[in-house]
Amino acid sequence: MGKYAGHKHADYTRSSINMSVLHVDSVRREIGGRCILNDVFMSCRRGEVIGLLGRNGAGKSSLLRIVFGSLAANQSFVSVDDRKTGGLYSSRKLIQYLPQHKFLPEHLKVDVLISCFCGRSNARLLMEQDWIKPFLGRKPDALSTGERRMVEVGIILFSEAKFVLLDEPFNGIAPVHLENIKKLITQNPFVKGIIITGQDYRNVMELSSRIILMQDGNTREIKDPRDLIEYGYLPQTADLS
Amino acid sequence: MRTIKGMWFFYQKLVVPSLGISIALALFSQGFVPLPFGICFSYAILTPLVHLYSYEINTPNEYYFYYNLGLNKLTLWANTLAISMLIILVLLLT
Repeated sequence: MGKYAGHKHADYTRSSINMSVLHVDSVRREIGGRCILNDVFMSCRRGEVIGLLGRNGAGKSSLLRIVFGSLAANQSFVSVDDRKTGGLYSSRKLIQYLPQHKFLPEHLKVDVLISCFCGRSNARLLMEQDWIKPFLGRKPDALSTGERRMVEVGIILFSEAKFVLLDEPFNGIAPVHLENIKKLITQNPFVKGIIITGQDYRNVMELSSRIILMQDGNTREIKDPRDLIEYGYLPQTADLS
Repeated sequence: MRTIKGMWFFYQKLVVPSLGISIALALFSQGFVPLPFGICFSYAILTPLVHLYSYEINTPNEYYFYYNLGLNKLTLWANTLAISMLIILVLLLT
């Protein structure tokens, strides 16, 4: 994890835990005759953090929603450990999705949401975390945008799913909360496979062990950050240090 | 169990506004329609409308919470209609 920022991570412990793989293949989606996803392929192992970069409208969110199962594709194949996922109900313990915008029901308190979402033992572990204690017993609309986003990311990361899809988790939040969210993702307490998107490429790259660029409806594996300049995602003047 | 809990949480948001408006409407039309029938009738019509407003128009992103619990939109709509019918049945029988 954090390969692009020179972070060293205990990947050896993670890879030894299991070899679960999320496999995405042949994803094709057309809107109004325009192909936004064209035979997309991607895979993610447990314990791996994949940074999915791309310009606005490149199809990042659509791809995540197709993998999650909430958006229909013209064609798609998604499997976890060689078993094809079949809709939201069957993949609820395999894949969880954090949407770009706030999604927690506002009529329920944070502790109730956690109990419902995370399963008994994971919920207990999450509620024991110091950072979340001030938010328990409060409703999401009583939290600031950053606090709310932290709760959302926490709930997803402490869910029982093997893989989580984080769609722009840093969207519109203050630096202090951004650092807290990065810390949460880095800790990855249940060694999930994480796919993360964002326009804030520096933070995405800092967290990621692999980078995939979405361009012209396809995915490209980025081996060297300078490729992002070469492929036109970043300007020539971009600072990659 | 979590799925059932999720369905109830989804429905919970609809109960107070639907029932409140139903009682108000039933009281308003008490001269024309018997009160229990007025409440039940209004409730049956209002719950799907409140669902439509609350989730489809006002906060469509909340659906993702329930999607993560394995509940799709069709199930949630069926849930709204089924629980409303059940409540009406109970109200009519009592």
